[in-house]
Amino acid sequence: MNSKAIPKYTALAFPFLLLVVFLLYPVGTAILQGMSSGTQLLDVFVEPNTRFIIQFTFSQAFLSTLFAVTLGLPGAFLIARLRFRGRSIVRAMMIVPFVLPPIVVVVGFLQMFGSNGVIDSILMWILGSDSSVFNLATGIPGIILAHTFYNVPLVLLMVSASLERLNPELEETAEILGANSFQRLRRITLPHIMPSVLASAVLTFMFCFMSFPIVLAFGQGTYMTIEAQIWNAFRIFDYGQASALTLVQIVITLALASVYIRLGRDKNETGRTASIRTTSFSKYNLKEKVLIVAYLILVIVVVLGPIVTIVRASIFDPIAKKYTLEGFANLFTFGSQGGLNYLVNSVFYAGLATIFAVVLGIPLAIAMRNRSTAIRNVASSLILLPLGISSITVAYGLVLAIAVPIGLVTNPWPIIVVAQTIIGLPFSARAIEIAMSKIDPEILDQADSLGASRIQRLLYVELPLLAPGILVGGVFAFAMAIGEMSATLLIALPQNYTLAVAIYDYLAVRDFVEAGAAALVLVMVCIIAFLVMERVSEGSAGGAL
Amino acid sequence: MVKVELKGLIREFDDGSRIGPINLEVKDGELLTLLGPSGSGKTTTLRMVAGFIENVGGSLLFNGKDMVNVEPRNRSIGMVFQSVALFPNMTVFENISFGPDMAGWPREKTIRRVEELADLLSIRHLLLRKISEVSGGEAQRVALARALATSPELLLLDEPLSALDLQLRERLQTEIRRIQRKLKITTIYVTHSQDEAFAISDRVAILEDGLVVQIGTPEELYDSPSNEFVATFLGSGNVLSGRIIEVSQSNLIVEINENLFEIPGQGEIDSEIKFSVKPEDVIISDSSEDWAIAELVSITPQVGSFKVNLDFNGTPLIALTYDESLVKRLRVNGNRTISFSFKEDSIIILRN
Repeated sequence: MNSKAIPKYTALAFPFLLLVVFLLYPVGTAILQGMSSGTQLLDVFVEPNTRFIIQFTFSQAFLSTLFAVTLGLPGAFLIARLRFRGRSIVRAMMIVPFVLPPIVVVVGFLQMFGSNGVIDSILMWILGSDSSVFNLATGIPGIILAHTFYNVPLVLLMVSASLERLNPELEETAEILGANSFQRLRRITLPHIMPSVLASAVLTFMFCFMSFPIVLAFGQGTYMTIEAQIWNAFRIFDYGQASALTLVQIVITLALASVYIRLGRDKNETGRTASIRTTSFSKYNLKEKVLIVAYLILVIVVVLGPIVTIVRASIFDPIAKKYTLEGFANLFTFGSQGGLNYLVNSVFYAGLATIFAVVLGIPLAIAMRNRSTAIRNVASSLILLPLGISSITVAYGLVLAIAVPIGLVTNPWPIIVVAQTIIGLPFSARAIEIAMSKIDPEILDQADSLGASRIQRLLYVELPLLAPGILVGGVFAFAMAIGEMSATLLIALPQNYTLAVAIYDYLAVRDFVEAGAAALVLVMVCIIAFLVMERVSEGSAGGAL
Repeated sequence: MVKVELKGLIREFDDGSRIGPINLEVKDGELLTLLGPSGSGKTTTLRMVAGFIENVGGSLLFNGKDMVNVEPRNRSIGMVFQSVALFPNMTVFENISFGPDMAGWPREKTIRRVEELADLLSIRHLLLRKISEVSGGEAQRVALARALATSPELLLLDEPLSALDLQLRERLQTEIRRIQRKLKITTIYVTHSQDEAFAISDRVAILEDGLVVQIGTPEELYDSPSNEFVATFLGSGNVLSGRIIEVSQSNLIVEINENLFEIPGQGEIDSEIKFSVKPEDVIISDSSEDWAIAELVSITPQVGSFKVNLDFNGTPLIALTYDESLVKRLRVNGNRTISFSFKEDSIIILRN
């Protein structure tokens, strides 16, 4: 190593060190505490309750994945093949559900599918009934429907991108060689999109497997996933169970993550083809048109419905059955239980977390593009780690290993910022890395050859080119941080509540309009975040997934 | 085999541009090339013949039978695309046997046919390979074998060699020509390269802005381009334009860049005229005093001759010379000007 390289390696080592201190060490401490708590780990799995939880976690994730893929596939074909105005906007909007906080989705689902929700109100009016007749936003249907909502756009994005990379001349060749449309689908198109279908299914499964707020809200203690039970175990001081479940979860999510990475790797496809064949709606026959319209209605109800109806949730009180602005009034109330406190907390924590996520994301992104494979691998695994480890475990570990020893127990807000930074980091680093990969190395060589020093090159060439990527990464991290509920719920004392945690709290005490108004604020934040990302990255924001 | 006729075929695009009306006749067993710059409509024309894009007017006849409402897969066409488009999820064998499989051939017949074609194209050793394991030139052969597997009556080739390097391209040109002759299959070939078109074709149709501007054998096109576009596109001719200042019985005196030239032909006094002269018909000399004078730009030695680039008062002019001692003298004494003239009967007057 020459002397010039030292500052560079220090810059790279800095995020590594922080992730070791604030991620690996706390998680390790939490697991070790459980293992030394006297409980035999294997005993935990024999317990019928734990076995039911593990079974339920798998089966709900499996069903959710099945629904999401089934509902997403037709949409992927439509997005890729149907010519219509606003296609690029629809595609770009697919990112919105992804940044939408789960607890906000819960509010939307209660309003769309729950009792006294939009569908229920319509049915009650049709049937002339005074009491609720329809409620899907509870128990297993609620969990699976909400997971489907979350992941349909994911399947749609990934599979339609793969379809667009399919060279249209392949299908034309098959056509001219005598294959009919079914044979073309089976022999050419399906083999081509299969890796992306599987990859999106694995990712969906992983998200559903680790889902927390949705399960907590709709499962209501009856149906618990591993993640929810880890939270529960920490609450009742059953460290043995928590640590056993954490280990199970880490092993499974890491296995899923490695399958996902492998699926993503062996595609030898080129970029999007320009000459992709699209068909306008009028070219379809009547039966196909009916199917397309029916599908669109289904998607609008399941995906768009819960987002739009949050507006109603913010002003309609289902208990008093009247419209009110109390929810918004509460948002502007200071003092104890006032919504303004939560709003300020949310913006403050998420803002700090964003700054950290960007500052750490830049060296991590640089490390991901390092010449040495070892450094690249370490960097990308460190970035993926927060996605694979339960945020509840991270939060508990942070409290146990950092907050307690340094006396932050009475006001643990810095720990919340740390947790939110860790959760936002994968997104900021990935967005910055994508921006870096788009810089033509010859431009940098050009700057060198024109006599720019290393610093001049960084200031006048690299950073200006990276600025959009940094902005996208920051916005993405902010959206993830402000919507984060799991870790924050575990760490926060009442004075540290953020909007996302407050929504959960409001729902628990049936303050529905307060929850709705807070959720609407978070939706607005997400939509603004989406617009910024869209404007800056010109439609490629989906790549950050 | 099949005779293909395009009668007034028209295609319109959303942006208002249009291709056609195209009138062409491809004779049975002939290899006809559509040659033109990008955007001239050659690929669109080929895709209309294949049936991938619909024409809005005109008719397409195979042996006199209208094909417009026939599905691409029922037109008995083999096609090789620019991107080669081999199925990446299949082996070489599976690629070639795809057509026979779709047609429901018995297995033995398919295997025999695939092996026969593999021998014809010398790719027998590749049959079990994956597509990712074959080189660019091999991929072209596989694509050709696949297109020929069900013995189609018409072969369509859309710039099949454009991605290959020059040497490989020349080798495959000869190969495609050999196989086409052997099978006597009617073929339409699309390319933007004049060399490729001339090397491979029975006849060449030159397209400009969606219209066929000239059809003929390579020699006909080279010797008598019908307009300025063809002359410049083929690179065969120097195009000169001037004003007629005197008309005699069969000759014209034309003023070009303040020099007077006598050329055979007819015209009206004071009208503009354009004509082309092939480089081998431009004679140069470092001694003739009464010829026109041009500036010497560069001399390029090439097989059997020297290509001399001249600048004639702003008009570029290419001459070919075989006179080695002249070139040597020019190099040594550093002359920057040279006199030139045209051979008799070498001037082709261009239509506007």
